[in-house]
Amino acid sequence: MSHSTPRASEPNSTSTLLEEPGVLVAKKHHLLVRWSHWLNVPILLGLILSGISIYWASPIYQHKPDPITGNFDVAADIGIWICTHVPGLHQYGSPPDWIYNHMSLGPGMLALALRLHWLCAYSFMLNGMVYLAGLVMGGGWRSLLPRRTDLFDALAMFWYYLGFPFAKLTRHKWPRPRFNTKYNALQRAAYFSVPVAGSLSVATGWSMHKPMRLHWLAWLFGGYNAARVWHFCLMWVFILFIAPHVILVFADGWDTLRSMIVGWSTRVKRSEAIANER
Amino acid sequence: MSDDKKTDSLQPEEIRSTGSPLSPKRGPRTDGAASSVAVESLAMKKAQGFFEERSLPAIEMTPGRLRYLTRRDVLLFGAGAVAALAGGGFLLPQDTLSRLGVRRNTDSPGKEWFLNKALRIDDDVAEALYSRDRRVPTYTKSQITPLKNNYNGATPDPGYISGWNLTLDGLASGLSISLDIRNLTTRFSMHEQITRLVCVEGWSAIAWWAGLRFDDLLRAYPPMSQAKWVRVESSVNLDASGNPDIYFMSLDLATARHPQTLLATHLNGQALTVDHGAPLRLLVPVKLGLKNVKAITRLTYVAEEPRDYWAERGYSRYDGI
Repeated sequence: MSHSTPRASEPNSTSTLLEEPGVLVAKKHHLLVRWSHWLNVPILLGLILSGISIYWASPIYQHKPDPITGNFDVAADIGIWICTHVPGLHQYGSPPDWIYNHMSLGPGMLALALRLHWLCAYSFMLNGMVYLAGLVMGGGWRSLLPRRTDLFDALAMFWYYLGFPFAKLTRHKWPRPRFNTKYNALQRAAYFSVPVAGSLSVATGWSMHKPMRLHWLAWLFGGYNAARVWHFCLMWVFILFIAPHVILVFADGWDTLRSMIVGWSTRVKRSEAIANER
Repeated sequence: MSDDKKTDSLQPEEIRSTGSPLSPKRGPRTDGAASSVAVESLAMKKAQGFFEERSLPAIEMTPGRLRYLTRRDVLLFGAGAVAALAGGGFLLPQDTLSRLGVRRNTDSPGKEWFLNKALRIDDDVAEALYSRDRRVPTYTKSQITPLKNNYNGATPDPGYISGWNLTLDGLASGLSISLDIRNLTTRFSMHEQITRLVCVEGWSAIAWWAGLRFDDLLRAYPPMSQAKWVRVESSVNLDASGNPDIYFMSLDLATARHPQTLLATHLNGQALTVDHGAPLRLLVPVKLGLKNVKAITRLTYVAEEPRDYWAERGYSRYDGI
C-alpha cells in the first residue's frame, strides 16, 4: 500500500525484445502467508460459531434468574429485546434463542459444538505456525514490528480514514499521511495485534481446556473463570479487526487484494527497483 | 488504483547515478583496499538493521505474465474457497443445516469418523499431559464456592441410601465383592482435599471433599492383571422424567490411581447429601465433572475401554483436563 506516485517516463529502451512494456512488481506476501491468511476465514468462522454454541451451555454474563421465566442469560435477554422491538420479529418462536440461532451453530448442541471447536482450534494452531513460517521465510515479520513513532502516526492515519468519506463528499482536499514503509502505522498496529490476539486466544483456550494440567496458564490470566472472559473478549478483537480490514482492503483497491492472492504487487517504489536492477 | 500500475521502466544512467550503496556490484572498483572497506560497511549495515524493514525486491515482468499468474492463482484460491465452503458445510451439525434451509440429511459415517478422529487427537493430547505425580491445585477453605446439583435427570429418591452397596467385579481373585459404606469408611484412611470441579459446560466450583483414595481400594482389592479400565456405574441414576437410567462411565486405571482421585463420602465437612451422590461418589479432579459419577453402585475392572454414557452422546471419552 505504500507507494509513490509514478512519474510518466519513456518506454523501456533496454528491453526492446518485449512486445509489451514490462511491469515492475514486488513480492509482497509469501505463499505460506497468503495460504494461511485465507484459511483463517473458515477456521475463525467455525471457531466463533461453535464458540458461541459452547457459551450457551454456561454463559459468562449472567444475572439472578428472572422470577417469571427463570432466564439468567444476558444473551437471551438481548434476543428477547430484539424480538419485541424489531418489526417483523414479533412472531419469532423462541426469542431467548434468537442470538444463538443467528450467531452460533445453535442452542443445545454442546457436544457437537465442542467437537467442531477442537477441530477448528487445532487447525487454527497449525495454521498459525504456517503463517509464522511464511513471515520468517518471506522476511515479512520485519514490516510488522512496532516502531517508536507508531502511536502518533497511527492517530494521524486514523484521523485520515475517519475524515476521508466526508472529505470525498464535500470535495475537500484530504491528504494521505506520508510514510515510506510497507504498511502505515495503523495497519502495522492491526497486523501485529492479530497474531498476538491469536496466540492469546490459543493460550486462554488451553488454560480452559486443561485447567488442571496447565493450571499455571490459567493463573497467568487470573484463574480459570478469568481465562473464559479473556477468551470471549479475544473473539471480539478478531471481529473488530475483520470489519474495517475488509472494508479498507476493498477501498484500497485490487492491487492490495491481489497481492494477498497472487503475492505480487505493482505498487513498487522507484528506489527499490533501482536497488534491484543494480 | 490503476495509476500505480508501473508501465515505465528506468533509464540506465539514472540507475547508476542513484544506485543504492547497499548493492554489492555497484561500480567498477577493483582495488583491494576500497572493496574491503565496502564489504565492512555492508556488514555493519546488516548488523544494525536486523529488525529494520527491508525494501521489497522488485522485478520486471510482462503484463501478460502478471495476468496469467493472477488468473491462475485467483482460480486456484477460488477452488480452495469452494472446497473449504463445501467441507465446512459438510461438517456442520444437521440442526444448523436444517435452520439454514438444507433439507437433505448430511449425517454420514464419514462425517462421524472425521469428527471422532479430531476428538481422539484431543484425547491423546490430554492423555500425554497426564502424570500421576503431578497434583492438581488445591485451595483454602475461604476460596470454596457453591456447588450446584447438576444431576442431568431427576435427583433420585433418597430411599436407595439405606440399602446401598458397592459391588466390585473383575478382580484378580475372580470374586465379586460387595461393600457397604461402613466397610469403606472404617477400613480405609480418609483424605481431604479442596479442589476445583470443572464441568464440560464451562462452569466450575471449588469444594472441600473427603473420602478414601481410589488407589487404596485398588491395593486392597486388586483388579485382574490385564485390566486397564474401570467401568464406574450408578444404577440409581434417573432420566429427566424420573425413570431409571443407568449411568456408566469409563475411567482409565492410571487416572484411578492418581493420589487425588477419591471415592468421596463427605462434602464441605458433611456426609454427602443425595444431591451430591450419597453415600459415595467418584471425585476425579483431573477429569471433567461428567466423569465424577454420583452414587456409585458398581466398579467393574476390564481390559478393553468400556462404554461411556456421555461419549455415546457425542462427548469425548478421555475427558482429561
